[in-house]
Amino acid sequence: MEYVSPEGLRLDGRRPMEMRQIRAEIGAVSKADGSAIFEMGNTKVIAAVYGPREVQNRNQQISSHALVRCEYSMANFSTGDRMRKPKGDRRSTEISLVIRQTMEACILTHLLPRSQIDIYVQVLQADGGTRSACINAATLALADAGIPMRDLVTSCSAGYLNSTPLLDLNYVEDSAGGPDVTLGILPKLDKVTLLQMDSKLPIDILENVMQLAIEGCKAIANYIREVLLENTKQLEYRRGV
Amino acid sequence: MVGLSLGETHFIQGGIAQDLRCDGRKRLTYRPISVETGVIPQTNGSARVRMGATDVIASVKAELGKPSLLQPDKGKVSIYVDCSSTAEPAFEGRGGDELAAELSNALQRCLLGGKSGAGAGIDLSSLIVVEGKICWDLYIDGLVVSSDGNLLDALGAAIKAALSNTGIPRVQVAAGTSNDEHPEVDVSDEEFLQFDTSRVPVIVTLTKVGRHYIVDATSEEESQMSSAVSISVNRQGHICGITKRGGVGLDPSIILDMISVAKHVSEQLINKLDSEIASAEAEEES
Repeated sequence: MEYVSPEGLRLDGRRPMEMRQIRAEIGAVSKADGSAIFEMGNTKVIAAVYGPREVQNRNQQISSHALVRCEYSMANFSTGDRMRKPKGDRRSTEISLVIRQTMEACILTHLLPRSQIDIYVQVLQADGGTRSACINAATLALADAGIPMRDLVTSCSAGYLNSTPLLDLNYVEDSAGGPDVTLGILPKLDKVTLLQMDSKLPIDILENVMQLAIEGCKAIANYIREVLLENTKQLEYRRGV
Repeated sequence: MVGLSLGETHFIQGGIAQDLRCDGRKRLTYRPISVETGVIPQTNGSARVRMGATDVIASVKAELGKPSLLQPDKGKVSIYVDCSSTAEPAFEGRGGDELAAELSNALQRCLLGGKSGAGAGIDLSSLIVVEGKICWDLYIDGLVVSSDGNLLDALGAAIKAALSNTGIPRVQVAAGTSNDEHPEVDVSDEEFLQFDTSRVPVIVTLTKVGRHYIVDATSEEESQMSSAVSISVNRQGHICGITKRGGVGLDPSIILDMISVAKHVSEQLINKLDSEIASAEAEEES
């Protein structure tokens, strides 16, 4: 199968270094302290943050900093083939842990000792790049909740098919069996907080693919900053400052 | 959710007794309802309904399957509900399973009719492709995204809107197949069948607080309820299903009164909902 045409176009008409359309919406769940919807193409994710609040399970309490917990779940209807996806299966546990570790790296937990921050991520529609979209949605939700953070965390995936590095894989490209690199960075601090890769890849090509994913993360960071800035302007307008 | 203080509970109950609720509504008034269709493009039909701060998503997926032996001339419909943790931290892990099971059972009772399929909101015979061999299986999934009371009414409305949004591919059966073999089918990419949802009922939940009952209770009001009766009514005014929740007993005459009030309230709700669905569909097409 051919994933990149000789003219350099992908199956959905994108160039190799082009991202899918990104959309974000803040404040999707009114009862949550912070919430956001994030869309990357057909991948649609909703995140909610509760906290900082009192630790529910006392033996998990940490006296010097906040406890960050995360739960990831997929809706039954979120994939092309409908299937029941119970919470707590191996894949969702792994992704929950990945999101938690990534968020822990950017939240200033030492400012909130003996407290608990819960991040809940729900996938409404999956079309590749799900965990990247989850991390981006969680970042927006944390910012909406006013949790102090070192930097925004943004995430993007990249792959390598038909001898071409590709940015922001969709489901068909993801299923093609080629390498898949998922990267999360703190764009202003220029630090990598998440790196996952499967399949085989020579190291020099890996550098190219990683660099491509970093560019994607920075583009997403710019977009997220715009969304937050617009949201702040709206709040400012409503307060009448 | 943090518990309410004694003063708050008295305030809520006193307000209901005086027909003036905390948000200024009367006892039989719904919160603003907004409907959005086609929110999940990968499904055959989907809708999102907001009632105040309650936010639910419903989707319909159609798959080809085998009809039940008991009703070989009818398709199959199932309803599942999932409570997302984004709605409430208490729904984390398996915390939402009990409520989800209660909601999906109530929805099946109110919307799918009896075991014979009679009284279902959809004509199940229209889901048959080859009698006894191939039919459409509809999977209706509800997802609670934000929870502020009255989930059952919101889910019922969302399912009605999702069914209005549903397109089932037209199926051609290959000719010349012998009667014993499994028929070959060709699923069209272009032609879709739309449902007639005029018979799909709406659910009205009446929540008893103190000596009065209210519609569209918020979660604070629900925490003060002694019992609740959910009644599904269709456009013809027929009762399609009743579910009672809460352990406190109700006088039979009060229940009959509730049913009559629900029937009255459902007329406005059906009209409001149908116009919202029509405008949502029109907006999606543009």
